[in-house]
Amino acid sequence: MNASKLIVMAAAMSVTGTAFAAGSHGGGHGGGVGEPGKAADASRTIQVEMHDNYYEPEAIDVTRGETVRFVIENRGNLVHEFNIGTPEMHDAHQDEMKMMVEHGVIEGGKLHHDMMNMDMGNGHSMKHDDPNSVLVEPGDTKEIVWTFSSKTTMEFACNIPGHYQSGMYGDVNFESAADTQASAH
Amino acid sequence: MKKVLWAGALGLLMPVIAAAGEYNITVDRVMIDTGDFVKEGIGYNGASPGPVLRFKEGETAKINVTNNLDEATSIHWHGLILPFEQDGVPGISFPGIPAGETFTYEFPVVQSGTYWFHSHSGFQEPNGAYGAIVIEPEGREPFRYNREYVIQLTDKHPHDANRIMRNLKKMPDYYNRKQQTVGDFFSDMSNHGFMTTLQDRLAWGDMRMMKADVEDVQGFTGLINGKGPDQNWTGLFEPGERIRLRFINSSAMAYFDIRIPGLEMTVVQADGNNVQPVTVDEFRIGVAETYDVIVRPKTAEAYTIFAESMGRSGYARATLAPEEGMEGAVPDLREAPLLTMADMGGMHGMDHGSMDMSDSSDMSDMDHSSMESMDHSAMEMEDSEQPGSDMESMDNSGMAGMDHSSMIMPEGGASDPFYAEGSGLVPVAANGGKFLSYADLRAQKPLYEEREPTREIELRLTGNMERYTWSINGVKYEDAEPLKLQYGERVRFKFVNETMMTHPMHLHGMWSILDVGAGQWNPVKHTVSVQPGTTVYMETEVDAPGQWAFHCHLSYHAASGMFRKVVVEGGPDQGNTVGIKAEQDGGDA
Repeated sequence: MNASKLIVMAAAMSVTGTAFAAGSHGGGHGGGVGEPGKAADASRTIQVEMHDNYYEPEAIDVTRGETVRFVIENRGNLVHEFNIGTPEMHDAHQDEMKMMVEHGVIEGGKLHHDMMNMDMGNGHSMKHDDPNSVLVEPGDTKEIVWTFSSKTTMEFACNIPGHYQSGMYGDVNFESAADTQASAH
Repeated sequence: MKKVLWAGALGLLMPVIAAAGEYNITVDRVMIDTGDFVKEGIGYNGASPGPVLRFKEGETAKINVTNNLDEATSIHWHGLILPFEQDGVPGISFPGIPAGETFTYEFPVVQSGTYWFHSHSGFQEPNGAYGAIVIEPEGREPFRYNREYVIQLTDKHPHDANRIMRNLKKMPDYYNRKQQTVGDFFSDMSNHGFMTTLQDRLAWGDMRMMKADVEDVQGFTGLINGKGPDQNWTGLFEPGERIRLRFINSSAMAYFDIRIPGLEMTVVQADGNNVQPVTVDEFRIGVAETYDVIVRPKTAEAYTIFAESMGRSGYARATLAPEEGMEGAVPDLREAPLLTMADMGGMHGMDHGSMDMSDSSDMSDMDHSSMESMDHSAMEMEDSEQPGSDMESMDNSGMAGMDHSSMIMPEGGASDPFYAEGSGLVPVAANGGKFLSYADLRAQKPLYEEREPTREIELRLTGNMERYTWSINGVKYEDAEPLKLQYGERVRFKFVNETMMTHPMHLHGMWSILDVGAGQWNPVKHTVSVQPGTTVYMETEVDAPGQWAFHCHLSYHAASGMFRKVVVEGGPDQGNTVGIKAEQDGGDA
């Protein structure tokens, strides 16, 4: 990888990073994707299983304003990601994940934690510490608590190269009945 | 993406035989219209290609094949794991299906994925006797898509295949239109100087071949699902859908470089076995290989599926579009590749005839990592900003004894561990992006437990271009003893390609685990391409008793001797081999 390509990727990383810091998202359209929530506020827990390369379930129903605790278990043999966002955000994040694979941070079933702090120049690393996403190694279980805001097109997705493209994503459906209820707040 | 249709649940727009247990196939004389010419050939159920057979993993397939020809026929289920008597190779698995008779195949379907079937009798397959097999898995697929299409390629030639074979035997360059001309000579001369150009030509001449020998049968029309470029086979989609394309190369001789300008392709399966998904811009499909890709066109426009033959002498073309009649731009063929000295890296297996080796003694222990010991003063490097840089890692292990000091070298650049360093055949994506390599393939799930091979068998891929004979270890099929394997062993095959052509090696009945250096994640294939001047390893768990064919899948190479019978000794069904004559008349590809 040459230097200029590295800078472009580093810039791409900073874009998504900044978007979260501002409490917004990088998708560039109307609805908000929500924000990290507190476990104490979670109305329920959704169990998500990761397999090679798909989720079970492949769709979840949420209501606006709801805080959900996701417990994500990797039952496959490969590292997978659980990332909540818009298709556009996933698209942007895929370049970062590609870099992590190209640099050997993610290698099949292994996540090389020691490499995640590697200085990529410009103050960037490959920490992968965005609050809307977790990387899960085979056999591990991780959690995300997320508060959904307004209704928008969202997916949970694994952005490891090839995984999203071959179908490792799930739909986030906003329940219409609940929407009515939520809008009464 | 609310509506997701599951894998294999629907067969769209392709001829489908309902996924029950029993199937009927007739073998017929048919007319094949390529758009460029109309030619009589052989087909199944009245058409070439034949139907897409849809099986379900776990069922028992029963297939009644009725031979309506006036000659014997057979059907081989390419890539399927089955009892050897059902494998369809006359003289090895069974006697064949006589004219006018019906033979019933019956075997359990123990796998899933994209495969194909074809005649293994004479040249019926290049004459049109092929079709596709799609096997739906018992469980879910490890990926998802909204619709799927089979994309089956072939290189249809206006000449009958028997005539092609006769012409090749008489004149091996009969169908090679890309021979270098006097004009090329003068053009190279002005670039490289007279003596170097002359020596370059003499060196190639000594090896009885030409730089342009990438494809030895040119003049074909590339077909996709039986349609020529102008007939434009079209698959429909709704924008935003994921489409699974099941590419099958059923060509007699042609490798294809496949791209869909405007779309990335995520490769999810190779030779019927799932691979860890890898997204590419272009891939090369060897003869008899299959690759499944998932594409996702997001806009309502027409996309061209463009398949250029490796030697750029022809192409196939099809379209993905939101509605019938739409067309995307059809790219021009890129410039034909020329073989380089590197592609001759293992050439000691070729008949060098009168090649003068008298002044080469100082090169036999050549160490190319330090260039000092090599006289390359007369060597010309095109684009030689860093002379020598593309030579340093060249694998010249097989070059000892050859004076190649005056050959013209190509510019360095693209490399792929499955091609000789500096090879003229290394593929490059048309858009400058990612081109799939064997090195990218990883099994999605290991099929076998990893273990050390019990022994290694070296198979040198050999030939004499002058006489158009092709062989293994210098011995052609009719002169060779069967290759004996023991049930339960794990054999490591070492392919050493000592010719300047690519050979897609196909072992029947047992999987070919291609060594890409990934241990238990090595991809599992049924056909392994071995590029000129390279050594490729594959391992096979010998888990299928009986006798099997093992051959180069280029039709005219298999027919002229690059073929072996494999006998698996021992095992649970050993008794089944009794009564099968060890006939040697089965050299049909």
